[in-house]
Amino acid sequence: MSPEGGRESVLSIERVSYTYPGSGTPALDGIDLAVGKGEIVFVTGPTGAGKTTLCLAASGILHHEYGGMLEGAITILGKDVRDYRSMAEIGRHVGVVFDDADAQLIFTTVEEEVASGLENLGLSREEMQRRLREVMEATGIADLADRAPHTLSGGQKQRVAIAATLALGTEVLVLDEPTAELDAEATGAVSAILRRLSCEGTGVLIIEQKLGELAAIADRMVVVENGAIVSEGSPAQMLHDGILQRPEGGSARRFAPAGITQSEAAPVVSVRGLVHRYDGVMAVGGLDLDVAPGEIVAVVGENGSGKTTLVKHFNGLLRPTEGTVIVDGLDAGSVPIAQLARHVGLVFQNPDTMLFAETVEDEVAFGLKNIDSGDPGEPVDAALREVGLLHRKAAYPRSLSRGERQRLAIACVIAMKPKVIVLDEPTTGLDARESGRVMEILARLRQDGRTIIMVTHDMLLGEEYADRIVRMEQGRIVRDGKTCKEEPCPRLCNTSPGRALFTASTRSPN
Amino acid sequence: MQYVTRESAFHRLHPLTKLIFAVVVVALAVLTSDTVMLAALAGAVVAVAIASGLARDLLRQVPLLISLAVSLLALTIITIRSGEIICYLVPPSVPVIGGAFPVTVGAIDLALAMSLRFAAMLFAFQLLVISTQPRDLVHVMDRLRMPVDYTLMFLIALRFIPSLQLEGKRIHEAQLARAYNPGKGLAGKIRGLFPIIIPLVSNSLGKATVLGLTIDLRGYRSGRRTPMRDLSPSRTDVAGICCMGLLVAGYFAVLLV
Repeated sequence: MSPEGGRESVLSIERVSYTYPGSGTPALDGIDLAVGKGEIVFVTGPTGAGKTTLCLAASGILHHEYGGMLEGAITILGKDVRDYRSMAEIGRHVGVVFDDADAQLIFTTVEEEVASGLENLGLSREEMQRRLREVMEATGIADLADRAPHTLSGGQKQRVAIAATLALGTEVLVLDEPTAELDAEATGAVSAILRRLSCEGTGVLIIEQKLGELAAIADRMVVVENGAIVSEGSPAQMLHDGILQRPEGGSARRFAPAGITQSEAAPVVSVRGLVHRYDGVMAVGGLDLDVAPGEIVAVVGENGSGKTTLVKHFNGLLRPTEGTVIVDGLDAGSVPIAQLARHVGLVFQNPDTMLFAETVEDEVAFGLKNIDSGDPGEPVDAALREVGLLHRKAAYPRSLSRGERQRLAIACVIAMKPKVIVLDEPTTGLDARESGRVMEILARLRQDGRTIIMVTHDMLLGEEYADRIVRMEQGRIVRDGKTCKEEPCPRLCNTSPGRALFTASTRSPN
Repeated sequence: MQYVTRESAFHRLHPLTKLIFAVVVVALAVLTSDTVMLAALAGAVVAVAIASGLARDLLRQVPLLISLAVSLLALTIITIRSGEIICYLVPPSVPVIGGAFPVTVGAIDLALAMSLRFAAMLFAFQLLVISTQPRDLVHVMDRLRMPVDYTLMFLIALRFIPSLQLEGKRIHEAQLARAYNPGKGLAGKIRGLFPIIIPLVSNSLGKATVLGLTIDLRGYRSGRRTPMRDLSPSRTDVAGICCMGLLVAGYFAVLLV
């Protein structure tokens, strides 16, 4: 597939197929794709479709760094990637932003990080200073110049990684999920920079799961499924033709627990006057909250608003500086964590934070053994059945797909039968299909009378699935109500169109 | 231990001067076992830190140094008998085992010498790290024709230690939420490490590929670098080198007399 409007191609992938070492099935299957000078090509598709592999192929990494079987031709600026001596040589022409921002930050301060690539380009000192200033201001990280990477939030790290790559001023940019953790404002800033770079002639290949603002600035959109391109066209046309569809409305309310009037029941979680300070800095400042049994509550807010600090009090990982937290009749301020774990389960944002066992079965049994709940056999099977992983019982947990690992993390928690299940960003990194699966599991759990509290920055998720949305700002609850439709929706909502889906067949009619 | 942005005299020194300072202190510390000289050396490093307004940063290492000194002392008392006996860990009046573990001058001397040596080296190394931006070190090592891989190894270690600590804490919390119990006895404690170590190591290895690729793509192996800041030596460096010369001369004068 050639670049739009007869542009000169800066990156060309012709009939490329690739199979990872030790794998029987190809990750890429006959991909034909070209990016023209000044063109922005947006590649999307469900989890496991081969998007990241395509990013590795396009930047010559598969050829230079990976084994496996690679067929077809990849050309960068008219030269075959095989003719480039090393990745360092390719790096002079292609800038790559990987999806793991943390691993791309090598230096101990943000300014050094952005300056590091510039110093290797042979530019004059004045030119380096100018580019450094410009890139840091454009990406909104000028105020972070002296900060160390480990003190940055996920979104800030992502911006630094993008800035460090943009500073290189390469003719081609390959970006793998560059805005996954960015809010609407930061995404807007990144898209403005990309638009400007494309006007200056940079060819941009963006790989994203969500269709947000970046899709809107693209000249061409490509949908990948099972390692192959299944449709291609202008973003407007593809949305118009219904090839990409927005998700159906939430289904959680269909599963409302029978016979319980939530507002009348005694709260299962009761927070009174909660204050938490980290080294004297107020993270949560005087907060009251009641959650009824069987409720699904979404706790939303920006980074640093105190959401995670709040929910860590429910299972004793944090103890209140002031105030009380009562969960299922227990004082979460003093009861040991191990005892609270029988009543409250916590699913972390990244399932890889907890997976360590040899098999899926052992992983789920770990928690049950910790609380001595007798023979773990049946509860393990029941939990795995609930999340649709019973057939993967003997698999190595870390070999599962991202979505499966997330469901396994949920299974580990629900096997312990806690009354309250807390999830931190349950759908981050999942495509819409997997997100939907996770949310359906949660909806069924609430039907069984469990209480679900999810921390999320995705307002759409809250609106679709939660009974109640609790919005936090600067350690306080600023809103607690049904949905956000009752008031002008905060800018968080602007990120939601990103969750466009692959619910219908994405194959083109041809 | 990380670079700290500050306007100190030590910060203003050329990275090479600071590197020479650290190397000189390490060399002098290794060449003698005399506790007075080692104390003087550690004192000199602390004096430099005080003069540059960086003493408070060095204080952070004191708890580590104290615990190291105590463990060294315990080890030398148990294993070394040399010189005059000062007292006994088990008083001679105790029946049967009375008089066991004599505390000798030689044991205390050795523990003291090793602790002071370690303190001098650690302080000097810390002064270098907190006052020098890693990329400046990369440039200096580059000028010295040191392989860039060594510099990057050093750099990555500095960068990722705090991140690993945070990740370890997060994993520990995730397992605690599953009622994780580290177990009893030595075997239990070792077994109890798996739920923490395995995710920590796997997640870190997962980052290694991206990290390596980023280093390559930023051109760190291309070998043609232009430092963004002017890295030419100043008068402060000349003064610093002279002070170091005096320190070395004094050291050898005392050693030879």
